[in-house]
Amino acid sequence: MIGPLMLLLAMLGAGAAAGHEGSHGRPELALGRSAQFDFDPPAVASYRLPAIMEAADGAVLDHLGHAHRLKSLLDGRISIVIFTYTRCTDVCPRAMGLLHALHDVTAEDPELRAAMQLVTISFDPDNDTPAVMARQAAAHARAGAAPWHFLTTTGAAALQPLLDAYGQPVAGYGGEFAHPLRAFLVDRRRRIRNIYGMDFLDPRLLATDIRTLLAAERRR
Amino acid sequence: MQNCRVFSTVLAATLATPLVTSADETCQSPYMPKITGQEEYVYVLTLGIEGVGDGSDKLVTVDVRPGSATYGQVIDVDSVGGRNELHHGGLTDDRRQLWMAGLDTSRIFIFDVASDPANPKPVKVIGDFVAKTGGVVGPHTIYALPGRMLLSGLSNAEDRGGRTALVEYSNAGDYIATHWMPTQETAGGLPGAEFADGYGYDARVLPRKNVMLTSSFTGWSNYMRDIGELMKDQEAMKHFGQTMVLWDFHARTPKKIFHVPGVPLEIRWTWGEEAGHAFTSTALTAKIWLVRQDGTGEWQAKEVATIGDPAETPLPVDISLSSDDKTLFVDSFMDGMVRVFDVSEPEAPKQIYEKQIGKQVNMVSQSWDGKRVYFTSSLLANWDKKGADDEQFLKAYDWTGKELVERFAIDFKAAGLGRPHLMRFGAKSLYGG
Repeated sequence: MIGPLMLLLAMLGAGAAAGHEGSHGRPELALGRSAQFDFDPPAVASYRLPAIMEAADGAVLDHLGHAHRLKSLLDGRISIVIFTYTRCTDVCPRAMGLLHALHDVTAEDPELRAAMQLVTISFDPDNDTPAVMARQAAAHARAGAAPWHFLTTTGAAALQPLLDAYGQPVAGYGGEFAHPLRAFLVDRRRRIRNIYGMDFLDPRLLATDIRTLLAAERRR
Repeated sequence: MQNCRVFSTVLAATLATPLVTSADETCQSPYMPKITGQEEYVYVLTLGIEGVGDGSDKLVTVDVRPGSATYGQVIDVDSVGGRNELHHGGLTDDRRQLWMAGLDTSRIFIFDVASDPANPKPVKVIGDFVAKTGGVVGPHTIYALPGRMLLSGLSNAEDRGGRTALVEYSNAGDYIATHWMPTQETAGGLPGAEFADGYGYDARVLPRKNVMLTSSFTGWSNYMRDIGELMKDQEAMKHFGQTMVLWDFHARTPKKIFHVPGVPLEIRWTWGEEAGHAFTSTALTAKIWLVRQDGTGEWQAKEVATIGDPAETPLPVDISLSSDDKTLFVDSFMDGMVRVFDVSEPEAPKQIYEKQIGKQVNMVSQSWDGKRVYFTSSLLANWDKKGADDEQFLKAYDWTGKELVERFAIDFKAAGLGRPHLMRFGAKSLYGG
């Protein structure tokens, strides 16, 4: 796993320093600081993640074309849910790279691997067919890491209610899209516990938030 | 919006490599798109005056499109009903809604500015802010976070003094959480805990460093009081903010308390890719303060410049930092002046220009390209000047880099509107128009 992590470090221009707690038990801290994320993550469970809203349900298709309710895919695991489109050449691939780093971390950490999943939902169903999402899955999802779902929809009628419910603005411009990058931390009971823009899509913070939810579960 | 393509007038706010982080267009949250070209509308939060127009607080929309037949004119007025001491507000991260807060009633008025930017529409009123937040009073700064709004209070329901909190709401207008400012009782162990006063005013985030700065003003019992009476009350005058707090933003926990005497108000972080310092001005002591990390990485606050003659109490109230981080506009209420500082050397700001905007001036907002600057006149209903000195205006200028050249002015009393305070910009181009 060191290979992909080091690759991301290079991509982020990161320094070699790990977080202030050291990386013991928190492999994500090996990613260290970068120009974009020039800070150490807070200690696990040193803060609260109050519920922001319910994570909405909707009809989705997986990369094999099978129909699902999003609810059924979210129940039972802590999820990082992100809306992207595969033709994006700027923000989306950078976000996917950061999630890829988190995915690699889960391969090193049995607790995270067992507890979480990544969920990518396309807002470009005309282009992002299940076959296209299958290629995304092949490029990103790896064995031995937490599950990573690559979802699309049957079209605008299924997609728009999802975008509205999650508050994900998307505006089409001649085949391209403008969109604020948002990712959602969803707990096992489908409550949104954090919302990230690019500024905080730091794999170290994502892992810390998930560990903080797990710590709260243990306290219950 | 954050882009997967480039738009001529809109800059993505939160790209993976942050181009910008936190003056008006340049004082927006880093989490929202910026109008980098020509703004089309100026939204003016306006306090009602008994006997002037309908006497109600209102959102006033002014057309600033060059060449428009209604350029420099009020094109839309939306009264919110009654007087709430409407003061500050903010746009959501997608710039689809404008939230406006009443310092007196703690009511929050939410307008849709996306469907028709020339004609905002009311969509919701939050009337139970005090109860929902556990007793926070006087919502002030409203700052966009991804999918959420961060609101800084000025007071509390228990004693109406300055102890207060930060509050979070979802973009849908639902309450999420309250984070009380550190006090002597709660700040134990923090660096600077001996200065903790629990007061609040502004809140601004520097994402790259995961830090948030807050500043401090005074409570409802002072800001709703007649300024003449207040100034004579020596006990009441002791109850003004003397602190700034540095927070771990992600964890929403305070890390350090700075002693910044004289009421530090507006905070502006620099925007550059290496952004790492912030400015504030102190109202009662007329100083510019700088907050940045020292050579060891420790955050420090230090006084770096004087604004006018502090002995004359110019009362600096608002600042606006240019998007290139080089120029700081400082408005002072009592003398009605704007002073422009070259802050390219942050430790040694140099005043390069000054101009009297009116008999009183309060807010200043500049365009992202720094070419246009707007001023309004009102501070607080009970603190504005009396009689002929109580001018109420919106004035628009071009900034040439050397001087301000007036473009238009609107007399808000003569127009039956009220006391203009905060300004925000709008443009149809934000929404694909």
